[in-house]
Amino acid sequence: MPLNNDFDVIIIGGGITGAGTARDCAMRGLKVLLVERHDIATGATGRNHGLLHSGARYAVKDSESAEECIRENKILRSIAAACVEDTGGLFITLPEDEDAGFGLDYQKKFIEACIKAGIEARAISPAEARAMEPSVNPSLIGAVVVPDGSVDPFRLCAANVTDAAMHGAKILSYTEFLDFIREGDTILGVRVLDTRTGQKAEYRAPVTVNAAGIWGHGIAEKAGVHIGMYPAKGALLVFGHRVNNVVINRCRKSADGDILVPGDSVTVIGTTSTKVPFEECDNMEVTPDEVRLLLREGCALCPALADTRILRAYAGVRPLVADDSDPTGRSISRGIVCLDHETRDGVKGFVSITGGKLMTYRLMAELATDAVCRKLAVHKRCQTAETPLPGSADGRIETVSKHFEGIATLGQKGAAGRQGDLAGKIRFDSEEDKQLVCECEQVTLGEIKYAVAELGVHSLSDLRRRTRVGMGTCQGTLCIRKAAKALAIALGDPSLEGKLAADYLDERWKGMRPVGWGDTLREMEFMQRVYKYEKPYSYDEV
Amino acid sequence: MMKFDVVIIGGGLAGMRAATVLQTEGLRCAVVAEGLSLHDAPRSEFKAAGGTILAGDKVVGGVFEGDRLRSVRTEKLGDVTLEADWFILATGKYFSKGIVADMDRIYEPLFGLDVLYEQDRSKWFDPAFSSHQHFLDFGVRTSDGCALKDGVRIVNLIPAGEVLAGISSAEGDAKARIQKSALDAVQMIRRN
Amino acid sequence: MQERNISASNFEQCQKCSICETVCPVMANNPAYGGPKKSGPDGERYRLKNGIFFDDSLKYCLNCKRCEVACPSGVKIADLIQRARIDYGTHSPKLRDMMLASTDQMGPLAGAFAPIVNYSLSLKPVKGLLDATLGIDKRRTMPKYSSETFVHWFKKNAAAGQDDFKKHISYFHGCYANYNYPALGKDFVAVMNAFGYGVHLMDERCCGVAKIANGMIPAATRDAKINLEAFRKSLSKGREIVTVSTTCTMTLIEEYPELLKVDNSDVKEHISLVEQFLYKAIASGEVKPVWKKDWKAKAAYHCPCHQERLGLGIFTTELLKMIPGMELTELESNCCGIAGTYGFKKENFKVSQMIGRPLFDSIAAAAPEFVACECETCKWQIEMSTGVPVKNPVSIIADALDLEKTSELNCG
Repeated sequence: MPLNNDFDVIIIGGGITGAGTARDCAMRGLKVLLVERHDIATGATGRNHGLLHSGARYAVKDSESAEECIRENKILRSIAAACVEDTGGLFITLPEDEDAGFGLDYQKKFIEACIKAGIEARAISPAEARAMEPSVNPSLIGAVVVPDGSVDPFRLCAANVTDAAMHGAKILSYTEFLDFIREGDTILGVRVLDTRTGQKAEYRAPVTVNAAGIWGHGIAEKAGVHIGMYPAKGALLVFGHRVNNVVINRCRKSADGDILVPGDSVTVIGTTSTKVPFEECDNMEVTPDEVRLLLREGCALCPALADTRILRAYAGVRPLVADDSDPTGRSISRGIVCLDHETRDGVKGFVSITGGKLMTYRLMAELATDAVCRKLAVHKRCQTAETPLPGSADGRIETVSKHFEGIATLGQKGAAGRQGDLAGKIRFDSEEDKQLVCECEQVTLGEIKYAVAELGVHSLSDLRRRTRVGMGTCQGTLCIRKAAKALAIALGDPSLEGKLAADYLDERWKGMRPVGWGDTLREMEFMQRVYKYEKPYSYDEV
Repeated sequence: MMKFDVVIIGGGLAGMRAATVLQTEGLRCAVVAEGLSLHDAPRSEFKAAGGTILAGDKVVGGVFEGDRLRSVRTEKLGDVTLEADWFILATGKYFSKGIVADMDRIYEPLFGLDVLYEQDRSKWFDPAFSSHQHFLDFGVRTSDGCALKDGVRIVNLIPAGEVLAGISSAEGDAKARIQKSALDAVQMIRRN
Repeated sequence: MQERNISASNFEQCQKCSICETVCPVMANNPAYGGPKKSGPDGERYRLKNGIFFDDSLKYCLNCKRCEVACPSGVKIADLIQRARIDYGTHSPKLRDMMLASTDQMGPLAGAFAPIVNYSLSLKPVKGLLDATLGIDKRRTMPKYSSETFVHWFKKNAAAGQDDFKKHISYFHGCYANYNYPALGKDFVAVMNAFGYGVHLMDERCCGVAKIANGMIPAATRDAKINLEAFRKSLSKGREIVTVSTTCTMTLIEEYPELLKVDNSDVKEHISLVEQFLYKAIASGEVKPVWKKDWKAKAAYHCPCHQERLGLGIFTTELLKMIPGMELTELESNCCGIAGTYGFKKENFKVSQMIGRPLFDSIAAAAPEFVACECETCKWQIEMSTGVPVKNPVSIIADALDLEKTSELNCG
């Protein structure tokens, strides 16, 4: 075993929790390895609303979560400016909520709970709400303004990973955890499989952190410990453009489909909550009933959704820690669970960080890193709450756009919106680099080259998570070919092009199938025609 | 009212092919073409032969008398209807809205013609993009070449091209089959 | 936070098929323009996210609407672009744009000094001055102003007898017939009178198309409201509104609600282009034409882009085909390149001429005695670029009709 396979800490899981923990550990001077079997942000991290919670949603039932949220909300606004958008949020009360016991009396209680948790919340009139967000259901009888926003989880995760790497962490994506290296009651490291090359490897560290979300359940089992986890599937729909510019929530007890979030160029409605078996977690399909339910509830928040094209559907699995007393999964606190398995189970060198939510990832990472540092007897203060993430030092589109030579093109402004101040690293030396590859999402060839060189991209889906390529109205119909070629060349193997494109087509197809009617079905027919008939895929002519 | 021998609904490959042949043979044809077609369908030959193209207009409904379609209304011409002895329906599939899918059903939007499709939407798609996709098989029903409306054969309304069940552009031989269906329509009009 | 939220232009129906790009005359000739898809639905998604995504190159769109005619998804692409210019554009209109746009204000001034203005506009140094100071291209032949406006002529010579007819219509003459080409208005009155319709003028303002194109929205909106009031007054007297200008008609019917957000739903069904009005009247037997026995002409019909957008070109061709001595070629659909005031601007002149090239070539190939065309700005462009005279269909009909016999038959 060569020495360079030795680390201070190994983190399993490249979701936001693992990425955040890697960053925190690395910033505290530890030698960090992160292993992720797919790409970063492929699990629940990339499969949620992208809501920057104010905490208001939890204020009435779970003040602890609410307080955590608003604290982290303020922190993320300052450290992750390039990943969040200050949209503001509304909690609206509809006439039918009155009958269900969530009328204006409840609104009063809601505001009091918010204020108690430190969340600025104030009631506004229905007319003010309509002026603030013209797409809101006009029949609302009350509204509360809260400091909700939107956050791009892909960008947030990538920024944490990038920063971890800048602090010396080794990041291995497409590296699957197989088993622990164990001696008696001590975990010494991990055996992993490089899923692209098929090569196995061993890595050692005095501490291993299980940050694998719902998959952490199985990982813990391999260490011989049991975490009673509970996979709660949540389905969401993406609409073709921004219908609202302010987050719209229902002011009632949390239920299905009651949050509408404008994120980047789209709007997302969600979510549902269904308990699913562990074996389904790897391949979630959104059902017709879920689509129906989300549409119905979405239209109650914003009637325009009834006529807005749905781009696709997707589902994620919340890593909840089971509470057998409530079968719906909604009553349990989304609280953070940080387990030192030495004290809990007598297994040394192993920590699990789970529960929680996207919003509180940084706090989760801090708690996990604290646990790691205790084990390693390292005494370094956490700095992740004050130090801006890469790209976020001054990440507003307006400021970043000024740095480009001449008048910023749409593609350059798009890059500024996605990469924050790191967009300055994108080379626009040639006219070709300025050309758009993805016209829906304004992604240039230059940005793609940058993402491949700097952001650990191996497939078109990875590229999509870094740049939004193929995420727009045509779902890649017009750009997959160009993007696959650019990516294959940037990866140094032009022969990969066909495989990259074919994989991505299947991935796009999966999200479109559950909403395959109307304009989406038109697009699907067009996509079939483009790739099968008019220009059957051939590698030489792109 | 404007009177033509044949009104062709749809300016794509099937519609223009049938229209050009019929106009050249001396029938007075009008093509209602909402938008351009994805297929390369030249219009100059038809125009040179004296044919009429209503570009950017669309049929919004028709008047039936028994088993015949008498006339169609268009969006732009308002109360001026297009009357003809024959109508060719060449409106294509989903993309050109020849048939329209909503969450629960597939329908033909202009006249409510009978459509052949699978009721269970989960069977419309194959998870593998490159496999055969069942939804591309759907289209209007015909009986001896004519469209059906509530089971009644409309004797002067001939569907052609991709609006037909079983013909789709995502298949290799589609272009030939589209043109053949157009010429079948021409044959039927010639015979009668 | 942004004020605007939902687009009424169906932009989410865009499938990105890019057919619009194949018909855009500007995109083919001006690399600085992103084209209809990028400027329209693609750009709109990002403008909804943040106004910073408004791109100045949208000014190159000449609003010919050919993209809308071609779109298989019913997306109002040109409206999206024009609307974005109104909502997000930050530049205030230049003096030149205001001059070109204020067709009704420049008209009266220029008309009073028509001989001098026409003379000076045709002199090279003056054109050079316009070119240098205002950015109006010196190679451009400026529209001539008439010394007597149509309205003035009508009041003096025609108004008196109009009440004697049994049937009545209101005539929206537009700026062009009034200031630049009163002969068209006179032909209109002659034809309508022969068919037994009394012609009445309204308190009309410029339709506003040039003001919209040049970003003068409040002024255009004010005029729109005055026009609609005049139409309502006319309709209350049972008089339909008949127009001669394609572009005015498109503005009155489509741009008022789409771009100016002025509701015209109660009157728009009652606004007809004269060719549409006459075709329907003749086809239904309401009126009967008597054509001159020996009249003969070889003409080519150019369908203006906005006529194609309105979908009304068929009425003109069917009407012209009724004339026994008419040999009519329908030209392949192409943009002439001028698009109202667009081609007058120095930065657009070259592109404007390049766009028109296929049309000019097809006219040369058809070798007609004249081109039949409803649009006044197409007329300037075609006459300047090909030397072939352009006649409005109304003038052709006025010429081909035996006015006396038609009048006897219809006014009896």
